[in-house]
Amino acid sequence: MPADSTGPTQPVGPEGSAVPAATVGGPPGAAEDPQRPDGPDQGSLDQSVQDGEVRDGEVGDGAIAETAQQRSARFERDAMPLLDQLYAAALRMTRNPADAEDLVQETYLKAYSAFGSFREGTNLRAWLYRILTNTYINGYRKRQRQPAQQPTDEITDWQLAQAEQHTSSGLRSAEMEALDKLPDSDVKDALSQLAEDFRMAVYLADVEGFAYKEIAEIMGTPIGTVMSRLHRGRKQLRDMLTGVARERGFLRNTEVAS
Amino acid sequence: MSCGDPHETDCGEVLAEMWLFLDNECNHERRELLKRHLEECGACLEEYGLEEHLKALLARKCGGDHAPDEFKQRLRQSIQEIMVRQAVLGAEVTVEQDEDGTIVEVRTAVETRTWTSRERRPPPH
Repeated sequence: MPADSTGPTQPVGPEGSAVPAATVGGPPGAAEDPQRPDGPDQGSLDQSVQDGEVRDGEVGDGAIAETAQQRSARFERDAMPLLDQLYAAALRMTRNPADAEDLVQETYLKAYSAFGSFREGTNLRAWLYRILTNTYINGYRKRQRQPAQQPTDEITDWQLAQAEQHTSSGLRSAEMEALDKLPDSDVKDALSQLAEDFRMAVYLADVEGFAYKEIAEIMGTPIGTVMSRLHRGRKQLRDMLTGVARERGFLRNTEVAS
Repeated sequence: MSCGDPHETDCGEVLAEMWLFLDNECNHERRELLKRHLEECGACLEEYGLEEHLKALLARKCGGDHAPDEFKQRLRQSIQEIMVRQAVLGAEVTVEQDEDGTIVEVRTAVETRTWTSRERRPPPH
């Protein structure tokens, strides 16, 4: 924790770690209950996040009112350690540091404003990612005037079946070795070239390790859509990376299994 | 598609579900079935190995960025300001954005204060 922490410093995972921070300070066993989509506060929480407006002292049903100082300390303890993770995700979304800062700033200020209605023990990390994603979709994407990205229609079973075949070629290990040689920047570039919906799904699943159900909640889509985006995103990514590896001479043409 | 060897489950079926297996998203029964297949089918196992490798590669190379310390400080200050106003003045706070950046408006009985996130650094080119 930074030295200028305003809250009581409690032992938490190292910043940026994959520790399920939602359970920090929460009741034991809460980790096994990552999301409560039908929780009574979910709707009002989203509403307050969308409005970006929360009146001080407003509390969810049955919640004990806490002072602004207590809330601030709780926010510092639980939400601030996730800042680096959210920033990294914002960087992958916006693809530039200035926009990533703005996006995270807005996300955190919204989250702080709505934090009074956030219940301890629910999945804080997914909640913050949801605000981040909503904020990005509703604001930054429009402002950046990015061209509308390719539609992500459901992939049909037929397409899936077509795509699935393996080559028993023994060339996979050459491909693996080639991918390993790629510098970080090549892999990040390839990810950033994916259509936005694919990119976010792949990032949330593979880098952040969210479950499909959580990604569906974060992105506001059905699980089937998440699976389709992941499937297609990963396929495109693999093709791109193999291509880059070949360009860099890490993989000879004869070694490319397709 | 099949590798030609007889399997309890068809290779195409296994490959279609490989990501579910990889992401730990299939049920126990299905998982055991796919596991058995991967144990006996070298071609599928190889394919699975590459996908697993790719997933790990992404996790290793695409995460781990750290927010600049200066930004963290600035964010904490903004939060502090909101906190103080909420605590002392019972203010209402709204967070919005427009083309200038993030706008935070704090309304109290005596004053309304607004600031944007871009005030503290040069505008983007």
